[in-house]
Formats: sequence, C-alpha cells, structure tokens
Amino acid sequence: MIDAMNNSFFQFTAITAVFLSAVLLHITKRNSTAVSLYFIQSLAVAALLFQPLFENFSMIVLLMAGLTLAIKAVVAPLFFSKLIKRHQLKFSASTYLNTPLTLIVIAALAALTNSRIFSHIASIDPDNKKILALAIAVILVSFFLIINRKGAVSQIIGILSLENGIVAFALFSGLEQSPALQIGVIFDLFVWVIIAAVFISMIYKQFGSLDVTELKHLKE
Amino acid sequence: MELILIIGSPIVASIASFFSSKRKDCETATIVAGAVALAAALFAAQKVSSEGTYSPNDYFSIDALGAIIISLIAFIGFIAALYSTAYLRRETEKGIIGFEKVRLYFILFNLFIAAMLLAASTSNPIIMWIAIEGTTLSTAFLISFYNKPSAMEAAWKYLIINSIGLLLGFFGTLLFYTALTHGEGIAFNWDYLMDSAKNLDPMIAKIAFIFILVGYGTKTGLVPMHTWLPDAHSKAPAPVSGLLSGLLLNVAMLAILRFKVAADAAIGGQFTGNLLIWFGLISIVLAGFIIMVQKNYKRLLAYSSIENMGIAALGFGFGGIGAFAAILHIIYHALAKSLLFFSSGNIFLRYSSTKIAKVKGMLSVIPATSLVFIIGFLTIVGVPPFGIFMTKFYILSEGLKIHPVQTIIALAAFVIIFIGFLTHAAALLFGNAPEEISKEKENKWTIIPLAVLIIAFAVLSVYLPPPLKILIDSALTKYQ
Repeated sequence: MIDAMNNSFFQFTAITAVFLSAVLLHITKRNSTAVSLYFIQSLAVAALLFQPLFENFSMIVLLMAGLTLAIKAVVAPLFFSKLIKRHQLKFSASTYLNTPLTLIVIAALAALTNSRIFSHIASIDPDNKKILALAIAVILVSFFLIINRKGAVSQIIGILSLENGIVAFALFSGLEQSPALQIGVIFDLFVWVIIAAVFISMIYKQFGSLDVTELKHLKE
Repeated sequence: MELILIIGSPIVASIASFFSSKRKDCETATIVAGAVALAAALFAAQKVSSEGTYSPNDYFSIDALGAIIISLIAFIGFIAALYSTAYLRRETEKGIIGFEKVRLYFILFNLFIAAMLLAASTSNPIIMWIAIEGTTLSTAFLISFYNKPSAMEAAWKYLIINSIGLLLGFFGTLLFYTALTHGEGIAFNWDYLMDSAKNLDPMIAKIAFIFILVGYGTKTGLVPMHTWLPDAHSKAPAPVSGLLSGLLLNVAMLAILRFKVAADAAIGGQFTGNLLIWFGLISIVLAGFIIMVQKNYKRLLAYSSIENMGIAALGFGFGGIGAFAAILHIIYHALAKSLLFFSSGNIFLRYSSTKIAKVKGMLSVIPATSLVFIIGFLTIVGVPPFGIFMTKFYILSEGLKIHPVQTIIALAAFVIIFIGFLTHAAALLFGNAPEEISKEKENKWTIIPLAVLIIAFAVLSVYLPPPLKILIDSALTKYQ
C-alpha cells in the first residue's frame, strides 16, 4: 500500500516536472536555460523509465532506459550547450506573442485537456487520468512552443519536449513499445539531434542569426 | 533472402560510397545495388502475387500494396541511380560540385532508398515510423545539397515540419495500440492491428486516425500540411526531387491507408473516407490555383505532386472503382513525376535556372529533353490515352455517384491545372532561346533513363501484366 502510494507520488512529481519544464521553456529568454530545462525534463522522463526496474529487473529495459538517459539528458544537452557557446547564442530570438499572452494561451491549452476529446484520450487508463491529462498538456504546450518561438534552438527544443510528452503519455497509458522498438526510436532521436545541431550551425553561418523569420529566400 | 537483398544492397552501396575515394566506385556501387534491389523486389512481388503475402519473419511482411510500392521504389530508384550518375557528372563538369559532394550524394541517396524500402516492407507500424523518419534524416542534407541560403532554408523547413508531423503520427500510432491487450510488443504488426482494431473505442479510433492523417499527411504533402513540399522538392538535386515526389509521398500514403483499414474496422469507412475526400479536394484545388501563377518549373512540378496525392486521396476516399483507380494513379504518378523531375534536371543543366521566365526555346536547345518533357506533361495532366486520364476518369465517375459536388469541384480544378500547365509548358518549349544558351548535343545518359520511364509508363497505360493485376486486385480487397 505504502509502496503504491510512493510510486504514484513519484510518478506525479516526475510528470509535474515534465510539465513545468515545458511551461518554463516558454518564459525563458536564455538559450542555456532552455537547454537546462530540457535536461531536467529528460531526466524526469528517464527516471520514469528506470522505475519499473525496481520491481522487475530486466536487462533490455535497463539498456533502453540507460540509452534514453544518455541521449536525452546527456548527449542532446551537451550538443546544444556547445553550440550555444561556440556561436555565443546567449539569447533566444523573440516570440510571436508577448509573455502575458503566451501564459494565457498556455492556461487555455492546459484547460483544453479537460475537453471532451482530450478527456476521452486521458481516460485510456482511468487510474492515471490526471497524469495522462498532464502528459497531453505537455504535448500541447510543447507544440505551442514550436509555433510561438522564432529561434531555431527553441524550436528544436520544442520538438524534443513534444517527444518527451508523447513518451510520458505512452508510459502512463500502458502503450509503451517493446524495449527493442524503443531503442530504435531513441537511436532515431539521436541521429535527429545530431542533424538538427548541424543545421543550426549551418543556418547561423549562412544567415548570421538563428531567428527563423530571417529566412526569407524562398518567397517566390 | 529477397528482403536482405532489397534492403541490404542500398545499405551496402551507401557504406561502399562512404569508404570510396573514387567517383566511379560510388557510381558503380549505387547502380549495382539498384539492379540487385530491383531484381529482388520483382521476385518478391511475384511471390506476393502468387501467395498473397510474403512474410519471411516477425518483423517483415509484404502485402499486395506493399509489393507494388516496393517494386516502384526499386524500379525508379534504379533509374534514378543511372540518371544521377550522368547528372552529377555534368554538374561536376560545370564546376557546381566536387567529389566530396558526389560521395555525400551517393551515401545519402542509398540510405534514402533503403529507408523507403524498409518502411514499405516492415510488418511493424513503429518500425515503419522509424523508417519514414529515417527518410527525413537521410534527405535533409540532400535538400541543402547546394549550400545556398534558399536550399538551407528549404531543408530546415523540411526537417522541422516533417518532424512535428511525424511525432503527431507517432502519437496516433500509439493510440491505435489501445486496440490491443498489453504486453504484445513486437507481435503488434499490421495484420494483427487490422484484425484487432474492431476492439478500438470508436472515439479513440477517430482521434487516432486524425493524428495519423495530419502526421503522415504532412509527409504525403496534403494541404494544409504541405508547406515544406514545394520548397524541398524544388531545391533538391533533380534526381532526388524525382524520388521525393514519385516515391516518398507514396510510402507515406501507404501508412495512411493501413491505418485507414484499422480505423474502418472500428468505425466504418465513412469517417476516414470523408476526411480523405476533403483533404484530397483541398489539395487539388489549392495546387490548381498555385500552378496557374507559378514562376518556377520545379515548384510547378512540386505543386503537381500535391495535386496528384490529392487525387489519390480522393480515390481512396470514394472507394469502389475509385480506390482501384487510386492504386493505379500512384503507380502512374510515380513514373510520370520522376520522369518530369529528371527532365527538369536536364533543363537546369542547360539553362542554369529554374525560373520559367529564364527558360525559353527548349525545343530548339534541348530537343530530346523537350520531347520527354512534352510526353511527361501530357501524361501528368491526364491526356488520353495515357493512364492518368483513365484513373482520373474512374475516380470522378465513382465520385459523381456519391459526392457529386466535390467531384465537380475537382473536375473544375483539373481544367484549371491543365490550362496552367499548358501555359507554362508552352512558355518553356517555344520562343527564342536566350543568346547565352547554345545548342549542344545532349548526353545520351541523361536521356536513356527517361526513355525507359516513358516506355514503362506507356506499356502500363495499355497493358497490366497479370502479376501486377493480381496485386492490384488483392490490394483492392484490403484497402478500399
């Protein structure tokens, strides 16, 4: 009984950390803070992946959780931190909406998880309905981050945060894949992070800015 | 064995290109791999046509539509390998690219082909998702290949929009897992999903399919998720544009169709059919208006791809004979669009511009390419007796019975598209060529691959080989 309570407290704390990181990603103006927030979010997701190991040890689950931790919480943040340092990209480009409006939209998105459609999705596992609603909120808030931010680094982190939201949703709804497939997805993510980092570097060299609104060469 | 050859040969060619220090080695590896993959794909397709499916293990299974798509990928991939060799040699002669770029091209080209083949042949929806994401990753650097600001921008847009789309598709895929009991892991394959999808909560099935349609629809280029497509297809090297338009869109469409079958088992065909009809119709209409005012011939072809994917969506949405025509349509479109994009490469090689205003008098400057372009133009707009005329005719005739308003709108858009295409084609073909453009003999290796595509298209327009007919009929029973 106490174990079950501890488990659910741990899970709720972790998903709250994931959600708060997604919200704070909207507020921060510094790229380095955004990377740190993504690090915290990924750490929380990795912790959720490690949790089942305490009940049933499995080598393949350990490998999958370890790889997730290594790629999301170590490799990706390191890549982006180096990139930020190399090009001295201290501040992220601005947003389309100002901070108060952004917060209002986030509140609306969080409220939207109680709508008929999203509430139905969260009911996939009635025991975890609140947690699933938070995971859906992470997905929506991250999606909004990608749309609202003009900076390339923020957009990339937004996509990674969206992916974290989907992973959290899969975990709590019992829809997670076999560890072998999850390793495949993680490998895909790893390659994606490398390519995205290379593109950020190339865009900065080409345009002297990471503000995507500066990319206007395709208007024909 | 066939699957190892189909997927393994382009991977081996990619690795060989990576370690190669000579251009010829990269070219030979790619062409040989293309030939091996084609032979193995045709052999596998023959097996599917005689046995129904080809499932060598738990991870791979090729059904009838999968066999058609795999054969298309292998065939056009092989033709693209031949064309790429000649095309890149001409670009090197003109000083546009050096050996390092050529090597990078062949590494990524082969990975791209392998990823598409994997996506179409795997039995697992998650592996299919990984492979389709793999196509994004392998082609991003091919789109930014020329390192121009516009190419970089197109590649960035491609990477971001497709990644978001595919993540939404991934979420939709997960929602389909609710049809299963827990712990089935790798056993979750397409057949199992389609069998157990009737257990899906109807509301979840609807939401899941919407995520799938938006997610994979982004990759298919359906409006309004299409915004990356004209940029990416117009900035990539011509052979890659041909593959992106002719093949990749079909692979993403295959994913949508498989999930459609699963969703239909839970909620009937009306919901998914209507969604496909509306997304298809909007794609056709928007593409039609943009084709009218287009100033760039590669973008013109890209918008034509959006239109043709819209036609296929319309056909699958209508069902019945419309679905039969839609299957044929994706075959014809793959052949015709790769033909047109490859010929656009020849135009670019001579005129060094993709702007319609800067390309005049093609008929006198590059007569062989012009002939190919005219045939490509006639096929893609659906002039009889070419196959696309028949597929459009069947789709519209099916549509008139059940959705007359949408069908008439589509018909009106086809007229607009024909006029737009004809105007632009006339502008390119006739008139006086710019003074700086001299008439030179065209390299035969930039023409022969195109001639092969024309022959294939012409033959399939009037005659369907029995194995292909069996595959189409078999696909129809599953996907209509």
